[in-house]
Amino acid sequence: MTDKEKNTIAQTEIIVTGFGGQGIILAGKILGMAASLGDHKESTLVQAYGPESRGGACNAQVIISNTPIHYPYVQYPDILIAMSQAGYDKFAGQITEDSILLIDQDLVPTVDAPCPAYAISSTRMAEKLGNKMMANIIMVGFTTAITQLVSTSSAEDMIAKSVPKGTEQKNIAAFTKGYDYGLSTLKGRERKAAGQTGAIV
Amino acid sequence: MTMHNKESSPIKIILFLCNWGAHAAYQTLQDEQRPIPDEVHMVRIPCTGRIDRALLLKAFSMGGDGVALVGCDPGTCRYGTGTATAQRNTKDTGMILDLLGLGSDRLRFASFLPDESEKLLLFLETFLHDLQQRGKTSIQPAVGAQPVTNIPMNAGPELQQLIAAHDIYACQDCGKCSSACPLALIGKPFSARGIATAAIAGNLNDESVKENVWSCLTCGLCYERCPSAVNFPKFIKELRHLYKQNNKLGDETHGGFLHALMRSMASPELTPNRWQDIPQELQVDQKSNILFYGGCAPYYDIFFNKHLDVHTEKILFDAIRLLNFFDVHPRLLKDERCCGHDLLWSGDKECFLQIARLNADRLNSLGIDTMITSCPECYMTFNTTYPAHGLALNFEVIHLYEFLEKEIDRSAVSFKPLAKNITFQDSCRLTRLEDKPELPRQLLDRLSPESFQEMQESGRAAVCCGNSAWTGCDSYSKAMQVKRLEQAQDTGADLLVTACPKCQIHLKCAMEDPLRLNKLSIDMQDLTSVIAQSISWK
Repeated sequence: MTDKEKNTIAQTEIIVTGFGGQGIILAGKILGMAASLGDHKESTLVQAYGPESRGGACNAQVIISNTPIHYPYVQYPDILIAMSQAGYDKFAGQITEDSILLIDQDLVPTVDAPCPAYAISSTRMAEKLGNKMMANIIMVGFTTAITQLVSTSSAEDMIAKSVPKGTEQKNIAAFTKGYDYGLSTLKGRERKAAGQTGAIV
Repeated sequence: MTMHNKESSPIKIILFLCNWGAHAAYQTLQDEQRPIPDEVHMVRIPCTGRIDRALLLKAFSMGGDGVALVGCDPGTCRYGTGTATAQRNTKDTGMILDLLGLGSDRLRFASFLPDESEKLLLFLETFLHDLQQRGKTSIQPAVGAQPVTNIPMNAGPELQQLIAAHDIYACQDCGKCSSACPLALIGKPFSARGIATAAIAGNLNDESVKENVWSCLTCGLCYERCPSAVNFPKFIKELRHLYKQNNKLGDETHGGFLHALMRSMASPELTPNRWQDIPQELQVDQKSNILFYGGCAPYYDIFFNKHLDVHTEKILFDAIRLLNFFDVHPRLLKDERCCGHDLLWSGDKECFLQIARLNADRLNSLGIDTMITSCPECYMTFNTTYPAHGLALNFEVIHLYEFLEKEIDRSAVSFKPLAKNITFQDSCRLTRLEDKPELPRQLLDRLSPESFQEMQESGRAAVCCGNSAWTGCDSYSKAMQVKRLEQAQDTGADLLVTACPKCQIHLKCAMEDPLRLNKLSIDMQDLTSVIAQSISWK
């Protein structure tokens, strides 16, 4: 499929990767469900089973589209979300110039991508918020801000439905944290491009 | 009450007249029965250079509408530098008058030779004419200027009420306060528990007790340590008010200049003229619902630059730069007054209340929802003191550090490496009285200096910069400042980061020690400025 065809049918293909246990699959699931149940688009999820999901380089493949999806596997991701170095290394070869790369900068220290890359300390932020298990939700927020992949309201709804009972508010706060940081990252790049790096001009 | 007086009472010109050259000219006018205007009130002085800025300002704060400082030509001063000093003082005070919205031309320096009597008369007539055009100043004599005497100091309901309200009987006389008090530790015969005991025993009239009450730093270290939680700073604040009512005043530092300034700002009709020299690139929006409150920094810069190289107004500009960095274009108040902190803490409660009411009314009428300030004293005063005096504000008061921490925490920003070893001087108001030692530290931890080393005493245990409320500075204050600066040196720091403009002024003063030369000197910068310089988008 060429890029042109992709654009006309507005299909976005995503790979989320990281260690098993980080909530990689859940992040993928939330993005997909937000798109289909919330934003009324089509979506598919292929998740890694087997040993990966118990600690290796695990991944979730999500496709979001305006039209029915015929094939659920992702070969060249439009968006690669990497939360471990091993996960990044595994999929680095599939990134194209038009991809967007989103990483946890503390867990993916070495990046050499041909595409725009956005970094966040999601795990550290989650630790500060009280539970590093929420790093994936922060990443969902970050992704939502940078890529506008799903609407914030759908993402928040799906997060509230997907996380353990009683932790909804904390997870929404984590989403907001990642989302704000994403918006701020975009703003910062805009400012830098305009030559306004710091507070003293 | 005032409008009527204002129109009917004539213009008052205070003429400070040098004994040497110009007075002879004046005498000629008198001898020849020339029409010296009745509005001119002449004070004969030995030299114009001896009329310092405090006296010049006091002439206005006590009801003068114009002040003429008349002496000798440059180079002809009997004492050498008098004329130059007078010109400098006139210029400085003129700048202060501009900031107050009164206009610098209400203060004029002129020089006349003994035979220039007609010129002198013309000068006075012109000055009067100009002032008649301008009208009287909007300054009213301060409320509470007349002491209410006959309040018994040693017994009586007022004192008993103070003792009860501050739970002074809870003092166990254990001495923990003295073991913490920076004044006592530096060797001053000063005792917090001694004051408590004296209040109970009815010895407040003792000279030593009075001296102690007026030299307390109100820094709050004793309260921090007191096992009975006697709020000593608050008690001192009220005791000072009691003394003030009995006309037992403490020493106002800097000739009372700053107190005269603050009292002038309690005049309802005074309209200050602030923010004239704000750098052009700063973005403000007079319709914003976020107000930035600057505080008295520009006044300090004018006053202290005679001896010290301090630039505290830069802190305000850097604060606005940081607000701009985070897309906040704040509103500024052109007629911003003093918050009244130092008046209250130097016993002038009446004047404080007047200024506080004016501020509360003005600020509540703006329709803002947030006030941000970078001054710890403004912050405490608006946030805590106003409500405690029954003056509710219809907006939230936050310290700039709170705003910054929140914004930085959710933004993709980083801090450029700072090639300095830093240490930090706490503000007593923010750290102890408002109990927020973590506020500046969260921000300090975000910076990337070579090293950050706390001083031996830091946070809640930090030692005062030497003075508060411009009251009772003496050699012990100086010794304390020297000790503090030595502590800063001991950390190996080459940059002392501060959080209050007054810490900069006071510590800078101690660095001028002629015996220790440069041994104490260390670069100082406000935390706000350090952040403004190093913050950047990722």
